[in-house]
Amino acid sequence: MQNTSSTEQIEQDVLAAMSRPSRCYLACIFLAGLVFLGGMALWSRQIALGMGVAGISHPVGWGVYITDFVFWVGIAHSGTLISAVLYIFRARFRTSFNRAAEAMTIFALMVAGLFPLIHLGRVWLAYFLFPYPNQRQLWVNFRSPLVWDVFAVSTYMLVSLVFFFVGLVPDLAIVARRRPGFIGKIYRLASLGWVGNSQQWRHYTKLYFFLAAFATPLVASVHSIVSWDFAVSIVPGWHTTIFAPYFVAGAILSGTAMVITLVIPMRRLLRLETYIPISHIESIAKILLLTSLIVGFAYVVEQGLAFYSGNLYEMEQFRFRALGDYRLLFWIMVSCNAILPLTLFVGRLRRNLAYLFILSLLVNVGMWLERFVIVVTSLARDFDPYAWGNYTPSFTEIGITAGSFGLFFLLFLLFIKILPVLSITELKER
Amino acid sequence: MHDTKLSIGGCYSLLLILAATIGLIEYGGLIAQPGSLLLTLTFWGSIIQGAVAVAAVTALVRAQWIASLRRELLALYPLLLLLALLFALLWPQLDLFPWSDHPTIWLNRPFFMGRNLVSLLLTFLAGRQLALHSTSGAPFKDRYAVIYLATFVLSQSLLGFDWLMSAAFPWISTMFGLYFFTEALYAGIAVSGLAMLLYFRPRMQTAPKDTVRHLRDVGLLLFGFSILWAGLFFAQFLLIWYANLPEEVHFVTERLASFPERELCWLFLLGLFLVPFVALLGSQAKGDLRFVSAVSLLVLSGLFAERLFILLPAIPYHGGALLLYNGLIFVMLLLVLHSSERLLPSASFLTKD
Repeated sequence: MQNTSSTEQIEQDVLAAMSRPSRCYLACIFLAGLVFLGGMALWSRQIALGMGVAGISHPVGWGVYITDFVFWVGIAHSGTLISAVLYIFRARFRTSFNRAAEAMTIFALMVAGLFPLIHLGRVWLAYFLFPYPNQRQLWVNFRSPLVWDVFAVSTYMLVSLVFFFVGLVPDLAIVARRRPGFIGKIYRLASLGWVGNSQQWRHYTKLYFFLAAFATPLVASVHSIVSWDFAVSIVPGWHTTIFAPYFVAGAILSGTAMVITLVIPMRRLLRLETYIPISHIESIAKILLLTSLIVGFAYVVEQGLAFYSGNLYEMEQFRFRALGDYRLLFWIMVSCNAILPLTLFVGRLRRNLAYLFILSLLVNVGMWLERFVIVVTSLARDFDPYAWGNYTPSFTEIGITAGSFGLFFLLFLLFIKILPVLSITELKER
Repeated sequence: MHDTKLSIGGCYSLLLILAATIGLIEYGGLIAQPGSLLLTLTFWGSIIQGAVAVAAVTALVRAQWIASLRRELLALYPLLLLLALLFALLWPQLDLFPWSDHPTIWLNRPFFMGRNLVSLLLTFLAGRQLALHSTSGAPFKDRYAVIYLATFVLSQSLLGFDWLMSAAFPWISTMFGLYFFTEALYAGIAVSGLAMLLYFRPRMQTAPKDTVRHLRDVGLLLFGFSILWAGLFFAQFLLIWYANLPEEVHFVTERLASFPERELCWLFLLGLFLVPFVALLGSQAKGDLRFVSAVSLLVLSGLFAERLFILLPAIPYHGGALLLYNGLIFVMLLLVLHSSERLLPSASFLTKD
């Protein structure tokens, strides 16, 4: 592939990714689909048999399902960060990642949205979560952050979808122009009559900037509210003021790691090396490093202030995390999220794609464990020693978690064959 | 023109004289109440370190808007030493802190003084290296910016946890470190807005287009930081209000129930969020030099009101001394800004990126 500024060449190269699928691609689809179906089967079993098949019980009433919810909402964060925030800051490297990151946001939110339903057990009563008039003699508790979550996540989903779609419109028109027949008509319909004249561009640029500016505070608000699911309680280890920025930084860390996990293989398999240069991947690795430093700072502050305060319950909670029954998970979490990313201070490692790919996988493992440690250890060691108890996830919970990864990768794999994986119009500008 | 500008030697000499003057006032029997020095330090600690930190961050992210101001912000590095000198003067005043009678592993006199002095000196050394390497003519050394930011985060976290939070010991808020280094960056951007007024007002009509665009970016950053600050403020106090734990909520209720803390609370909410947010909402306002610099001044006033809000119930102070210290340091800051070309010569490349 030659490095060319020709707009024709850019269109050809990017749309080549949407050509006939290879065997490798089909195998990946099959595998992801199989894992997803396995998860669905286990969820069906849980619905049929009841919540007893899950490991959650007194005192740990929130387990892997809530961990998964927080994890996937976190993954959803980076899409908007990379796309909207970097757009506002005029960061050029955004063009290499924004489309994939925005798609990742949508899919991660779809997956995250499943977990409150799975955790409910009786999923057919899910509508109780939504505020509605009190004909049923029930009025939802608006002071509960769980209700705030419903508003926050659904608003974020809506804005992310609109932002994703608006960004796609000019590219959909290009696909429509290049695809003959019925499929081309579908793309033309989706492109909303885009012809690319100056008036359309003027409106488009204004709307896109407005959406970016609107979405940016949403990034912070959504995960802040998710953090308040825990922090508004008075449970030791949960009730701490740093939770909102700590969760936001953690979410961006995990989301950035997932973008790297997705983009590095995508870049190679779809032969997009010209459009996703190493320098851009290095820039995103720097974001990973920065957010890892913030997360590491939060770990130190949380542990340190627990002992500074002299509060017995806080001190016991943080001693338990580091030295108790879940210590292995805690130290893996610290290593993956706060220690290993420090290697990115070495420029050569930031530019080593194999290293970055492995590191991004480890950060995702670390971030999942972080949510698990936060959710489970605080419930396992509450105030009263009589009520202490440990939790081990059941096969059903682990299977449903694996199924959620299957669904996420399945949706992403379908995306790369249906929509342009890079923003063609922005690449032309670049 | 050069005769009104400080040389580097003259700058350090003046800093020593300034520190000695403040020391003389504090310990020469002129004032009865200590505490004004701590209040002054918590205010200027954020402003001076924050201004240099803004230059460091923008160097790392290759921001364009800083080009007109990088030299002025970096030239403030000698004032980082002033912070260390003034902090050393606090040694005999540690009785101000409630933990001084019951020292703990973390909060005891030698360790308190030692760690804070070391962090302030490291910040000065890192800031100096950053400024000098920026003007050496060699390619910009990102690593000095990274080192400075690491020491900045350490110093500001200690400012939050040690200088401010420990005055209300055993009350805690884990947000304090992050909150204060974010606030210091906000203060640094406000200093940029003021520097714009001092430097470009006389020649704004003839200023290059880039400078006008840079002013708009300063306005945009002030607007953005006002939202960020409000988010952190809300996230911190929502949890305290919501949980309503007696050992936590007293920090807020005590202050909101008495004069002048309640009024100070309104003042800093206005100065740090409401006015910057409303005033800079329109795009024209962001490009107006007088508007941006007035908002910058208000942000710094809000910051001062916030420091008073946090410390007043716990720390006595002398109003005259407080005004004098802050006035002297402000004049020193203006002098250093005025002398930036002499303090950081041969910096032609600074404006290129």
